This record gives sequence, C-alpha cells and structure tokens, in this order.
Amino acid sequence: MRSDYIWSIVLFFPLLIIQTTIIPFISINGITPDLILIMLVFYTIRNGQVYGTVLGFVYGFLFDLITGSLLGSAMLSKTIAGFIAGYFTNENKREIYFKTYIFILIVFLCAVVDLIINSFFSSIDLNTSIGVLLFEQGVMPGIYTAVLSTFIILFYPKRSIIEN
Amino acid sequence: MFRSLTNVWENFKEYIVLVVLIIVSLITLSLNQKPAAKKIKSLAFGSFAAFTSVISDVFDISGVRSENEKLRKLNAELMLEVSELRKYGIENSELKQLLSLRDSSQYPLIPAAIISKSLSRLQNTFTLNAGKNNGLKPGMPVINDQGLLGVVNSISDDFSIVQTLKNVDLKLTVKDERSGVEGIMKWNGSELVLGDIPKTYDIQPGDRIITSQLSSIVDIPIPIGMSLGLSNVETGIFNEAKIKPYADFIKAEHVFVISIVESKQKSGFELNFYNRK
Repeated sequence: MRSDYIWSIVLFFPLLIIQTTIIPFISINGITPDLILIMLVFYTIRNGQVYGTVLGFVYGFLFDLITGSLLGSAMLSKTIAGFIAGYFTNENKREIYFKTYIFILIVFLCAVVDLIINSFFSSIDLNTSIGVLLFEQGVMPGIYTAVLSTFIILFYPKRSIIEN
Repeated sequence: MFRSLTNVWENFKEYIVLVVLIIVSLITLSLNQKPAAKKIKSLAFGSFAAFTSVISDVFDISGVRSENEKLRKLNAELMLEVSELRKYGIENSELKQLLSLRDSSQYPLIPAAIISKSLSRLQNTFTLNAGKNNGLKPGMPVINDQGLLGVVNSISDDFSIVQTLKNVDLKLTVKDERSGVEGIMKWNGSELVLGDIPKTYDIQPGDRIITSQLSSIVDIPIPIGMSLGLSNVETGIFNEAKIKPYADFIKAEHVFVISIVESKQKSGFELNFYNRK
C-alpha cells in the first residue's frame, strides 16, 4: 500500500505530460479524455476514501498549477471526484470492480461529477441551456474518459491487483 | 474529551477530510489574483514545460522544422498584410489620410511552438516555448497563418501560457468587417459568440469577424473567424451572433506572437477621462 502512495504521485507527472502533449491529438470536437481522473479512481478504489479525497486534492492542485488554469477549480472538483470514487472501495469487491465494466461506470460517474463541478467554478455564460452545457461539458467528456479507461483495465495485470 | 474526539474522527473522518479540503480549495480560488499565486503558477508551469518541450520535440521533424518556420512566418505576415489591405479597401482612404491614421502594416513577430495544450471545454490554454527571454509580455496576441489564436496570459523566463479564444476568461472587442458592427466576443463554453448586439444591427452569415481597433487588448485588425449569422434571441433587446473561428486549435503547432501590448498610456488616459469629476 505504501508503494501505492509513492507511485500515485510519481506516475502523475508522466501522465500529465501525456495528457497535455499526446491526448490533444485524439480529441474529438474539443472533447478530451482525462487520464488523471482514471488514475485517481484507480488508486482510490485500491486505497480507500480518505486517501482518494486527499489524492484528488493533490492532483487538482498540481494540475491547476502546471496547466495555468484557475487555481482551486480542479482542486475542488477532483477532491469531490476522489471522495465519490471512495464509496466503491471494498476489499472483497475490488477484483470485481477491476475486472468488469463496473470500473468504467465508476470512472464515468466520477468524470461527470468532476467536469460539472469544474464548469460551475468557471465564469460560464448562462444564456446557453444548462442541460446542453451539462451534456457537452459533463456527459460527453465523461463518456470519452470512461471509454479510455476500458483499455487500461484490459491491459492491466489482474493478478497483481489480487495479490496486493 | 479526547476519546469523544477520537470517536468523532473515526466515525466521520471521510467527511471531515472532505470538508477541510473543500474549504482549502475555496480559499485557494479566492487567492487567484494575488501576485504571489501568479508567481508560483508561473514557476510551476515553467519548470514543467521544460520536460514537456522535450516530448514535444520528439514529434517534431527537425529537418523541415526551420523551413516550415520560415514559411509559416511568411504566411502569417501575408495574412496580416491581406487583412490590412481588406480593411483599407472597406474604409475610405481619403478619410484615413485626413485623420492621419497610422499605417501599421509592419508588426514584429516572435516565433514560438506550442509544447502542450490544456484542452477543456471552458479554459483552453496552450504552453509556448518562448517567454520573457524571447521578449514576450502578458497581453501580446498570438496568431498563426489562419488567424488569432489567443493572448499571452502568464510568462516565465522561457515559457508562456496562452489563453486561447476558447477560454471563458478571454473577452475581445471585435467587429464585422463588412458592416462595421462592433461587439464583445466571448467563448460561452461551446461556441464563440458576439454578444449584446442590438437586434437592428446588420450581421450576415459569412461576414469576416476581425479584432477591432477599439480593443484595449488587440487593437490591430487580425482575422478571427466567420459569422454564422444572428441567433435571434427571443427575449430582451439584444441579439448574439455565432462565430466560427478560422484557426484550428487542435492542429495548431507553430505560432507567432505579435510584439505589441496594451498601451498603458492610452488606457490610463481613457481611465482618467471616465473618472473625471
């Protein structure tokens, strides 16, 4: 578990480099998947709700600092996303979560919450329909993030999860 | 007492941690405009951008790089020149002479490459591999051969962050080149819109939208996009027009920063005028 604490921070930086250099190439109509969130959900399910909440806070803080976005917005949204992902921490069910589509659904739920909260903390133009905005800024990128998380689960060695 | 506190912590630690971190986040949100926060941000992205630039370079073919750069610079200069000529064609040249308008067809361009992009629906930003040492300053417009991409927002010694047009925090005064209608353009989260235009104003689909000389941020004519027509807002007296940007923000790699900044003298003068008693 302690190695998880270190790896979750160490892996953040290469993942952020990929997020800002390579992921834009696979964006669809400006919608990009969020690798950081997938990693946050992954480590939260492994290590618990308090850990996930704190990790979300740290990820958000680093993300805001490095990408130059509004300091505090990703901090808040990722903290809450980590907290929600923490509800799915269960040692007995962990294997089921990682092996099946349930992980994708958890990522989707957390991504939608993360993106919607992030939207609320930006000076958004409310002339546009809230429903449309939530769909475009929450659901669509959430689906893309969830779809991408499929590949990570497919290629992740399941045995190591069980052993840990 | 201690035991009861321990019990509370054991039973509600998840919620306590959540509430504390939310409060810290909200406090941080309110500190965004503090110079210290800006300095820390500029330091952080400057250090990280050094790593990102290495990855970015891998994707760049070094052989054609310099040639591409020259051609892109030429393209950008020609684009500005064409834009300037269009403006002259529409305006009355005689009036311009009378008003002694300054001929400003020569703009110093600073080449730069985009080394990372933060693409979100609300706050699109690019990181450039040029900064204070290359002569960049916050407020300078960033263009490519297609048109305006954004404005430099924060800088470190060797890197800078650009707020693109697709950023809710960037609002620009623009005008319809054909009819001369001016308005504030902003990104609403899904589209670029020219807002608060009186319903009687003339904006047709296909009209070129350029930056207005009234803008305190970018006061030279740079193409932005094409009008998609008025939206016919049902309530109120104002209308809005949707704009399709010329620049492709996803594919943009090499850019030029126009070495002009907002005139403090002009802004100060205008401010004094409005504040006079």
